[in-house]
Amino acid sequence: MFAHYLDLAWRSLKATPLATSLMALAIAIGIGVTMVSLSVYHMMSADPIPSKSSKLYAVQLQVMDEGQTYHSADDIPFQLTFLDAKNLYQTLNIDKKVVMFKSGFAVHVNNPEVSPMLQTTRLITREFFAMFELNFLYGGVWSQSQADNAAPVTVIDETIAQKLFGRSDVVGESIYLAQRRYQVVGVTKEWQPNVKMYDLNNGAFADAERIFIPFSHAAAYEIDTWGNTNGWKREEINNFTDKMNSEMLWTQFWVELENDKEQQALATQLDNYIQTQQDLGRFNRKTREFSLRNVTEWLEYNNVVSEDNKVMIGLSFMFLAVCLANIIGLLLAKFLKRAPDVGVRRALGASKTQVFYQHLVEVALLGFMGGVIGIVFAQLGLWGIRKTSHVYESLATMDVSMLLAAPSIAIVTCILAGLYPAWIVCKTSPATYLKVQ
Amino acid sequence: MLVMNNIGKVYQTDMVQTHALRDFNLQVNEGEFIAVTGPSGSGKTTFLNIAGMLEGYSSGQYMLDGIDVGKLNDNQRADLRNQKIGFIFQGFNLIPDLNLYENVEVPLRYRGVKAAERKRRIENCLEQVGLAGRAKHLPQQLSGGQQQRVAIARALAGEPRFLLADEPTGNLDSLMARQVMELLEQINRDGATIVMVTHDPELARRTPRNIQIVDGQVADFTLYQGKGAASQALKSQVGA
Ligand SMILES: Nc1ncnc2c1ncn2[C@@H]1O[C@H](COP(=O)(O)OP(=O)(O)OP(=O)(O)O)[C@@H](O)[C@H]1O
Ligand SMILES: [Mg+2]
Repeated sequence: MFAHYLDLAWRSLKATPLATSLMALAIAIGIGVTMVSLSVYHMMSADPIPSKSSKLYAVQLQVMDEGQTYHSADDIPFQLTFLDAKNLYQTLNIDKKVVMFKSGFAVHVNNPEVSPMLQTTRLITREFFAMFELNFLYGGVWSQSQADNAAPVTVIDETIAQKLFGRSDVVGESIYLAQRRYQVVGVTKEWQPNVKMYDLNNGAFADAERIFIPFSHAAAYEIDTWGNTNGWKREEINNFTDKMNSEMLWTQFWVELENDKEQQALATQLDNYIQTQQDLGRFNRKTREFSLRNVTEWLEYNNVVSEDNKVMIGLSFMFLAVCLANIIGLLLAKFLKRAPDVGVRRALGASKTQVFYQHLVEVALLGFMGGVIGIVFAQLGLWGIRKTSHVYESLATMDVSMLLAAPSIAIVTCILAGLYPAWIVCKTSPATYLKVQ
Repeated sequence: MLVMNNIGKVYQTDMVQTHALRDFNLQVNEGEFIAVTGPSGSGKTTFLNIAGMLEGYSSGQYMLDGIDVGKLNDNQRADLRNQKIGFIFQGFNLIPDLNLYENVEVPLRYRGVKAAERKRRIENCLEQVGLAGRAKHLPQQLSGGQQQRVAIARALAGEPRFLLADEPTGNLDSLMARQVMELLEQINRDGATIVMVTHDPELARRTPRNIQIVDGQVADFTLYQGKGAASQALKSQVGA
């Protein structure tokens, strides 16, 4: 019977092409707008690393003096000082920990045909790749002794390799970061999490870095950050060494913990660390505060998906509702015009349910059409958003689930809109239309 | 199979109350073929609609096959109608968007008849009313008489046990009317019970039982033989 209803629905829609296209268009516009905001929201709020989002923890320390406030929910700074990051990395008794910050260089190779390019670079410790699940295509991470000796080694991703060498198997090749020559020891697969969870402070949706060098280079070659540095106290900084020893905040520290026990153990160590620092005259708050937040909590805590995004979704659904309110009237008129036929069908054995069902199939088909056109509108809208800002490049896209959601939402909302007209038409007494000659 | 006791039907429109049927009593037995006559506006169509459960009634009791129709809900009535009742409407009431074949198919679909069986029955019925060659035509491409015949084919295709026909020959010439009448007599012989409203006295004479509805009430003439008696009874009933 469904196929039959579909056939009837198709004919009915075809019979009134103008009304049908108007209604489909109204739905399509509503769906288009809704899908644009939903897609952006969906990409923003998607788990960037599902297999580990409950295992990777950002470490925060309350380094500021009593009375100092910070623009985080619990007043603890988002970043760490270079000093604390270095200390924690050296002293914490835990395997999977990484300290890092963002920097950048003019990158070039010994080939005049390849023009130099400015590239962000991340200074990291070796654990980064395994912890954040980057995959190596060729080679691997540098050795611990290379890191300790600040050997000029680097890991780049395949796209940089392609740009510089026109191929990706470039282990052993040299690249120049500023004036320093680096040897490529590993090439990773391109990696771009939808949210740059490991460094939200420098653009939650910014591009991930594609060049990685050892964290030890910071001190060895005085490599400064390209990210935000947050100061909270008056300090005299005359050179990079001053900055490295200062209370300025510019590094990120992550750990990977398997279970609550490991978390407890780490908490104790962090507490002890603060205590030892207190003995040295730092961390002079009354209470020792620190925080461990896993990726999910971290994104929430950093308001990656802001209230504005949620309001946008609400507004777009309201807009969809307005579009649907318009089609309710059109549907009602259309269905009532057909009431005599419904009377005949009822007289010939159709139940109210069957008549109701027939009309719902028709609105569902209409919704499907509107939904499909709506996808086209949404793609246009997303394309427009991508054009406005580089930041939205990877966010303003529709993945498969959103592509499937569009017609589903359209169908469901259309059925909602069609309920009343369908009920009206199936409720009318069949005899009313049969008497007139 | 049909028993109506003191059925009343009141239409309330604005200020006017119309008693379309009042104290309407009738019994129709299985296998009967009844012609219903009566002046225009006397309540014939109203009676058929109530008999076919397309309309409710204001008072009285209606039993169909021993079932009290008043106690059924809408879906149960639809079921019963679907299984037992066929209609030929006064105004053909074909569905304009469907071609002849599909129009005839409508009751069969709701009855859940399989596609192959539907095809067999539809072709057979269109054949019987002489429209086999026009299965793909739309109703508006046909004359009134042809449309009437499609409506008849549609009623026949459902092979109803109880056929309610409202002037099935109203738009047909006398030859065609006789053919339709023969068709109805045929299915009556095959077991269908038929109630047919007609203005044609010749057709009415062919049926074993005639009833006349006057002013929403029944005058059953099977008891009287011959026209004289009938008209006398009518006169006494209307108080002339
Ligand atoms: N839906 C309605 N609302 C109000 N009055 C109605 C309605 N249907 C019928 N009537 C009235 O009820 C009475 C009986 O109507 P009905 O259609 O049964 O007559 P009929 O015998 O079939 O007439 P005809 O031979 O002209 O078809 C008429 O007076 C008519 O005006
Ligand atoms: Mg009538």
